[in-house]
Amino acid sequence: MSQLKSKRNYLLIAVAAVFAYFYHKDGAVTTSVVSTAISFGLPLALAAMVGIMCERTGIVNIGIEGTMLISAFAAFFVASTVKSIIIGLIAAIVVGMLAGFLLALMAVSWRMDQIIAGTIINILATGLTSFLFKQGHTLPSAMPEIDIPVLQNIPFFGPVLFMHGPITYFGLIFIVFLWVALFHTVWGLRTRAVGEHPGSADTAGVSVLRLRYLNVTLAGAVGGIAGAFLSLELVGSFERGFTAGKGFTALALMIFGRWNPLGALAAAMFFGIAQAVTNQLMIDQVVNIPQQFVNMLPYVMTILVLAFAAGKVRPPAAEGQPYEKEQA
Amino acid sequence: MIKRVTAGVVTVALAALGFALPVNAAVRTVSEASCGTASAFCVGLVTDTGKVDDKSFNQSAWEGAKAAAATAGGFSKYIETIDPKDYASNIDLFAAKKYNVIVTVGFLMADATAAAAVKYPTIKFIGVDQFNGSTAGNYSGLIFPEDKAGFLAGYLAGYLTKTKKVGAVLGTDVVPPVKRYGEGFKNGIAYAAKEQNKKIKTTIVYHAPDNAFNDPAWGATTAGQLLGQGYDVIFGAGGKTGNGALGKVAKKKGALCIGVDTDQWLTVPEAQPCLVTSAMKLLANGVSSLVAQAKAGSMKGGNFMGAIGIAPFHALSKVVPAAVAKKVKALTAKVLSGTVKTGVKA
Amino acid sequence: MSVNTEKKSAVLKERRTFDVGSWLIPFVAVLVAMFIAAVLMYLQGASPLTAYTSLLKSAFGSAPGIGKTLGKATPLVLSGLAVTIGLRAGLFNIGAQGQLISGALASAWAGYAIHGLPMAIHLPLALLIGAFFGSLTGLIAGALKAYRGIHEVISTIMLNSIVISLVDYLASGPFKEHGQPLTRTAPVLKSALVPKFFGLPLGFFIALALSYAVWWVFRRTTSGFRLETVGRNKNAAWYAGINVKRSILIAMAVGGAVAGLGGAVETLGITGRFEPAFNAGLGFDGITIALLGRANPLGIIPGAILIGGMRAGAASMQFDAGVAPEIVDLLMALILFFVSAPLLTRWLRRGKGAASSVTGGWGS
Repeated sequence: MSQLKSKRNYLLIAVAAVFAYFYHKDGAVTTSVVSTAISFGLPLALAAMVGIMCERTGIVNIGIEGTMLISAFAAFFVASTVKSIIIGLIAAIVVGMLAGFLLALMAVSWRMDQIIAGTIINILATGLTSFLFKQGHTLPSAMPEIDIPVLQNIPFFGPVLFMHGPITYFGLIFIVFLWVALFHTVWGLRTRAVGEHPGSADTAGVSVLRLRYLNVTLAGAVGGIAGAFLSLELVGSFERGFTAGKGFTALALMIFGRWNPLGALAAAMFFGIAQAVTNQLMIDQVVNIPQQFVNMLPYVMTILVLAFAAGKVRPPAAEGQPYEKEQA
Repeated sequence: MIKRVTAGVVTVALAALGFALPVNAAVRTVSEASCGTASAFCVGLVTDTGKVDDKSFNQSAWEGAKAAAATAGGFSKYIETIDPKDYASNIDLFAAKKYNVIVTVGFLMADATAAAAVKYPTIKFIGVDQFNGSTAGNYSGLIFPEDKAGFLAGYLAGYLTKTKKVGAVLGTDVVPPVKRYGEGFKNGIAYAAKEQNKKIKTTIVYHAPDNAFNDPAWGATTAGQLLGQGYDVIFGAGGKTGNGALGKVAKKKGALCIGVDTDQWLTVPEAQPCLVTSAMKLLANGVSSLVAQAKAGSMKGGNFMGAIGIAPFHALSKVVPAAVAKKVKALTAKVLSGTVKTGVKA
Repeated sequence: MSVNTEKKSAVLKERRTFDVGSWLIPFVAVLVAMFIAAVLMYLQGASPLTAYTSLLKSAFGSAPGIGKTLGKATPLVLSGLAVTIGLRAGLFNIGAQGQLISGALASAWAGYAIHGLPMAIHLPLALLIGAFFGSLTGLIAGALKAYRGIHEVISTIMLNSIVISLVDYLASGPFKEHGQPLTRTAPVLKSALVPKFFGLPLGFFIALALSYAVWWVFRRTTSGFRLETVGRNKNAAWYAGINVKRSILIAMAVGGAVAGLGGAVETLGITGRFEPAFNAGLGFDGITIALLGRANPLGIIPGAILIGGMRAGAASMQFDAGVAPEIVDLLMALILFFVSAPLLTRWLRRGKGAASSVTGGWGS
């Protein structure tokens, strides 16, 4: 374990050194690449949190894509209809929670196959949003970017971390918060217990079903915020098929990050950096690699890392199995 | 308890569904049943895999077709293609009802339209953005010199940039009109740079062909990356992808953006804070004049060159110095007449 | 009740082919979904009656209509079959999309680049090449699962993205048609085109034959039995002396081959060349189809025909009734929901229905 930690520290130092080198060479470019990476990576990271919250409690959620899609839709249409960004955000959270609740209903109460339940959410979201979608709506105003005073003046870290929209700040703080909650609170302990040994947790007095409902529904709210980030903060509109597979990529990030919020955040940032560097290569016109190869790089890397480096990824033990109390 | 909640959820969901329903009925001035009779004039439109409300070329083409049909006292209707394998069968639906004119939108439909023109010699076909290489007398390709519109927009950008860095976030370069916009834009900037004796850095970023026109998140983030590196005028062209870029630039104080195809001041209001102009092709006009020609019996085969232009500056005329506006106007005349070449091969 | 007994009961249920419930549930699900969609159409200002009449007439009312429906159903049967083979062996193959696209491009290449062969050789060869590359794509995921324990859902999601990018590169680079701006290959030669059979696409009959073959293998052969045993319980299979790794490899390779063949049949029978947009979503529809058919190789056929018919008739529906063609996606989602959710089952079986479980969790 300590060996693993020191390995991780070396890796962090190496990454920091690489950034420092590039920053030394061209500060403005490095700063904008990393800042862009956060915009690319944040929705992926938040979506991965949805997965972590569900899976840590023993529910597989493959419906993250659909949850994000339908909440992005709700956020945009409610915000543009009632002319309020805040109400749009609330609508996204409510719709996200509904999607989570529906998943919980299918997976926990109806004991349906969880992967099918998630697939149903994806297909329902695609069908509903593409059928109900109507052009010609506009947001009442753009989601503002908030530059945090003083902190934004720190070189490199200022523009990278402190010049974003409100959902980005929320997202970054939430991920750290979730990490703390998962590993250092009673809720976290119970959640992980239910995900690993629902039977023992039950014996110890934890209501397995209620906790699963709670976590999956809350995870839906996070998915709703991720959707709202896309339609309200990043783009300012909604289109059919808007999430473009981000919910699926998030599943990989979750595993890549070993069901740990900070790990998944790091994985998402890795994806973000890869995307931003792809663009930078095009901007600088340095190399003429076909764009498609750079696009597939993160996916190839993930497979390689999973196959050769990570090796021992282990999901929560009770994942995917319905739980029934009186069974003995 | 869960049952009651479920019932509540279903009720709320159904109410929400009823709330934001699109209306998608065709415009009916005369009935479709009369199509094919001597008195009726029916115009059908088949979209590319896009929608007639896409704020972009499908929408403009549909508006042109609708207006021309209305002027002629005729009937118009559209089909939105979902699957590119259905181009031909969607055209067939209109042909079976004996429509007089069928408009097909988008260069991907060129093959299907050329084949349909041979199959239905009595029907007139108008192919928007399609270079027509066939000899059919009933098929007219409507094409545009996008490079000229891009050139003019680039020229303006070259005069407006303060940081001497101008960028473009575009759909894919495998689509010829997009590439013509991009190349024209680049050359227009160079032209302005030469006039001012300055060096201006120009960067064009293309999306990969897959999902090229439907990735606003990529457009927004990429525009953000350019902004972060001091680019202050950004051209966004490529359906939703380009619109995503415009929306991002709008949030940056002092940065300017340029739209594409139609006057996007009107169609993408969220871009208004930055939208100084749009590189336009007058699609609706082109379609309606061809439909009118078809009605009059004067439509010819081959290709019809549509008009281009740049959109009015609207509220942002305040950032365009009067001298620059004058120069752009003068150059517009020269580019349109052909005295100034864009340097882009057609 | 554990997952295993549920699975066993699902299998038992399916053995009684003439059980009224197994036919009634999907049927009622379709009706309920159509009713909800009708309400939405009505609210939208369109006439549901006109819409459905138009849909039925254009999809099933004429010989060309039926031809189009079956043409649309063909790749759906095959991609559904690919997912089904996985499910039977306990694998959730989300990668049918990537496998199908690999097969489509490979067969298009074989169809335009190989000259001078008679049809009797060229066509089967092109189909086989398509199946081979689909199989290869599936096998990568299988190997990752068998030897490195990487869950197939993750690897196939990654592989889908990789294949989409790769194919996009090939079709706009080395395999691109000369002198054309479009991202597409040259047209397939006549000798590699799948012919029509009395106006009906021959590919559909290939798909039917394969479905039957797969059904037979699972029902009657030991290899099929082995795969299913692995699917039900890996540990038990291992104790029984079944080579679990080999079974996983076989299931993914065969599933990939079937999906690849779906892409090949689509390319050589319908589109006549490869263009990336031609195959969008076919593999993902396969997931819906497989779930609708409850992972039964024969059960997927009616579902595929139904969805093929809706896809074939969507344009007419918009033409005659002004309904947006996306209604088909909505109908698919609702049907899947009602087929899978135990609501209907419970109601129709008066409480005796068991929850369905076709796939496992991530497991290992």
